[in-house]
Amino acid sequence: MTAPPSEDPRVDQLRQRLRSLGYLDAGMDRFVLGPARATRRPSTIAMLASLRVGAIAAALLGPAAALGLSARVPGLVTGPRDAIVVAIYLGGFFGAAMTAFALVASLLVSWASRRSRERYAWLSRAAGGLVTLLCLVYLTLWWQTVIAGRGWSTPIWTLSALAIAVATSLLLGHAVAVAASAVTLAAAVDAAPVGRTPVSATWRTTVAAGALAFGGAALLLTWSAESARGAAPVREALTVVPTGLRIRVIAIDGFDARIFDELSASERLPALTETFGHARVRLQPREGGAGDPARVWTTIATGQPPDVHGVQGLETRSVAGLQGRVAVAEPSALGRALRGATDLVRLTRPAIASGSERRAKTFWEVAAEAGLRTSVVNWWATWPAPADAGVVLSDRATLRLERGGAVDAELAPASLYEPLRRKWPSLKARAVAESARALDYPGDESTRAVLRRSVELDAIQLALVSEVSAPETDLSVVYLPGLDIAQHSLLGGEQSGLAASTLAARLDAVEAYYAALDRLLAPLLTPSRDELVFLVTEPGRVGDTGAARLSVRGAAVRSNSVSDGAATAVAATVLYALGVPMGRDQPGAPLLELCAPQCVARYPVRLVETYGRPSAAPVLRTGQPLDQEMIDRLRSLGYVR
Amino acid sequence: MSPVPAFFAGYQTRVDEALRHLVRPERGPVERSMGYTLFAPSKRVRPVLTLLSAELCGGQATRALAAAAAMELVHTSSLILDDLPAMDDAELRRGRRANHREFGEAIAILAAFALLNLAYGTLARSYDAPLSARLATLLDDAVGHNGLIGGQSADLLATDQEIGFDLLERIHRGKTGALFSASAVAGALTAGADADSVAALSAFAKNLGLAFQIIDDLLDVEGDPSQTGKATRKDARKTTFVSFSGVAGAHQLAAELCQTVDYALASFGRTADRLRDLSAFVAGRSI
Repeated sequence: MTAPPSEDPRVDQLRQRLRSLGYLDAGMDRFVLGPARATRRPSTIAMLASLRVGAIAAALLGPAAALGLSARVPGLVTGPRDAIVVAIYLGGFFGAAMTAFALVASLLVSWASRRSRERYAWLSRAAGGLVTLLCLVYLTLWWQTVIAGRGWSTPIWTLSALAIAVATSLLLGHAVAVAASAVTLAAAVDAAPVGRTPVSATWRTTVAAGALAFGGAALLLTWSAESARGAAPVREALTVVPTGLRIRVIAIDGFDARIFDELSASERLPALTETFGHARVRLQPREGGAGDPARVWTTIATGQPPDVHGVQGLETRSVAGLQGRVAVAEPSALGRALRGATDLVRLTRPAIASGSERRAKTFWEVAAEAGLRTSVVNWWATWPAPADAGVVLSDRATLRLERGGAVDAELAPASLYEPLRRKWPSLKARAVAESARALDYPGDESTRAVLRRSVELDAIQLALVSEVSAPETDLSVVYLPGLDIAQHSLLGGEQSGLAASTLAARLDAVEAYYAALDRLLAPLLTPSRDELVFLVTEPGRVGDTGAARLSVRGAAVRSNSVSDGAATAVAATVLYALGVPMGRDQPGAPLLELCAPQCVARYPVRLVETYGRPSAAPVLRTGQPLDQEMIDRLRSLGYVR
Repeated sequence: MSPVPAFFAGYQTRVDEALRHLVRPERGPVERSMGYTLFAPSKRVRPVLTLLSAELCGGQATRALAAAAAMELVHTSSLILDDLPAMDDAELRRGRRANHREFGEAIAILAAFALLNLAYGTLARSYDAPLSARLATLLDDAVGHNGLIGGQSADLLATDQEIGFDLLERIHRGKTGALFSASAVAGALTAGADADSVAALSAFAKNLGLAFQIIDDLLDVEGDPSQTGKATRKDARKTTFVSFSGVAGAHQLAAELCQTVDYALASFGRTADRLRDLSAFVAGRSI
């Protein structure tokens, strides 16, 4: 009820006094049915009242759902602004859902009460009760999610949350019951008495219902908490038993074992052949979603399957108004249609998988947490680089160094940026020169350009490794995408239907790339006595057959061993070699068959319950995000269509 | 002045018939005095409110008739007492000379007490013990020191004095609101209504009662005695709602109270249309 703007100021004062004395107030029912009081048409009343019920649901459930979702989907909510936007989105969703439910329930109750109008009170209460029950179950399970995600498990938090859940559920149930009964009454043909009104029960009944709902919610919470407790082990401190080994992990994407075997047999890849000859593991089965580099390499880095680590694919979606992202699993037809629709209306936009979506620690993060010195270069989904995981040159670092400007967590620690930026021209020149020396391909210019670009890309990553790795670095990790990019450009799906001669020429070019890579890596593949080299290869986007491989070279390795293992075992093996205990929740076990027997005897596998989740501490970001530049770059390299 | 809603006539007739069974003016001077004011032209707003509330809550008007009559008896009693020289010393009531001017103060006082006594007796004779006890308690609250008597005494003590808004509200609540609420709740109780229905009707009556009183104050300022049936400007020495809000403000707040009345009936849907008409009549009777 709004007052005319020109009224006597005394009137407003009196209005407030009257309200304080209990006048001018008809409570919740007034809110729900207020807009409908001017009409007598049941359908109009149903619509207007349902909209109000939806508004209540939006206001109450939106923020609650945002809290739950932010706990469940790490990376989606990066700050208060994101939280508000998510709450508005979810409020809109729940508001629309509750509006629809209230509308349907009202009309159904009205329809069902046509013959026996005495039943309308019972039916209205039943509709309200159903809403109460659904809301209560949802809010209780929501609270379980929040507890699991944020650790708000103290009794006072829990009791407060349950009380709010019960009050919210009863209020919404009451609102639906009121709407349903009003529609039914309005639909009555005459104004004859229809029996007792169903607005709600006496205060005793309300209190009893509230207590019952509270008890039920508490039981549900206890039950679900027990279930969750089994899946949420307590995190312990990591104690390293030094093995005296330094580890270098080199990851090569797009590595086709058949081509390698042929080239190896003809002695064209001496360094790689020597490395694979020491100890070799076929990583089987190839993990689901093969070909998606972000998904596959995050599995290798975390030792967890995608369902656990959360990076489902290279392409994610950023939601309008949010800094965070929504990771999407391999979508169904409906999912693709939905994604297309939301993209079309600009509610979502394509984005690239980032570390924000990751829910499991990488092996270098575990090692850094255990106090070891680590560096990682160019691994997938490492942006934004956390400040507490050693040296991280994320998958956006090269782009930032090329473009310049303020750093936006592309690398960590941020103090590395300026020195690297100053050296960037010389680093790049060195990489170009090394790639020119390494690449020996006499074929046509366009193919050579593809190869050169890819080899330079790998050479740049290796140059960066040498810049950020100190002699005392315990773990150095680098991801080389060049082979996959070259192979995809020359032999990828879009190149099908090539003439046999062209195909043969391109195969020659790919083989030339293997040789170039062998030359580039040769200095790194010969470990010193206290060093182990882990060479991890994956068939990439073109090589959809064959297995990933792991080769380990060093003094502590059992020579000439050949075995099978899982992709999730790589992280465990690296950490074992560093003397870091294993997490019981890691599905992969260390590949002890690769290690020399005396090494295994001396360093038994030690266990901790879990490594926990990645740090939730906000990453300091000051620069302009390179989101679009990253998409453009990956599109030019054939990763994104 | 807004016309009385058409459906009123049937209810008024039934109330009048019930009252004529209770009060026979031909039996003596006190009865004549009782009937003089009781059967003078009246809208019977309170008893009709009782009957409508009963029907709204699923009850029968016939069963609520005794309670409705009791409300009117109490109301008439209060009018006679209110008009006495010791009180407002009014000349006109319901379009006639005030009761004490016609029959003398002594008979008027006796008639008022007889009406009050008859109200309680009617309740006791018409309902079973638990219900009659609840109705008697309800009436006691409406009439007693927190109701009509409390409101009237506060009103008298406030004459020629500046009073605050809270006291004015208490006066209005006691003099008008209490019996309005009692009338609505009594109807609901005779129908065996649930607590929420009673609460909704109570809110309805509470707001309607204050709206009624504010409009009464406005009538005193703006009204025509030939239409209102009583002398105007008789409250000139008193602080009224109009004193706080001005005439326009009083109109505005009365309208808002009537709107709230409408909201309070929202959960009853279409079945409450007659009560809406009743509140519309109350709101419109001044203009």
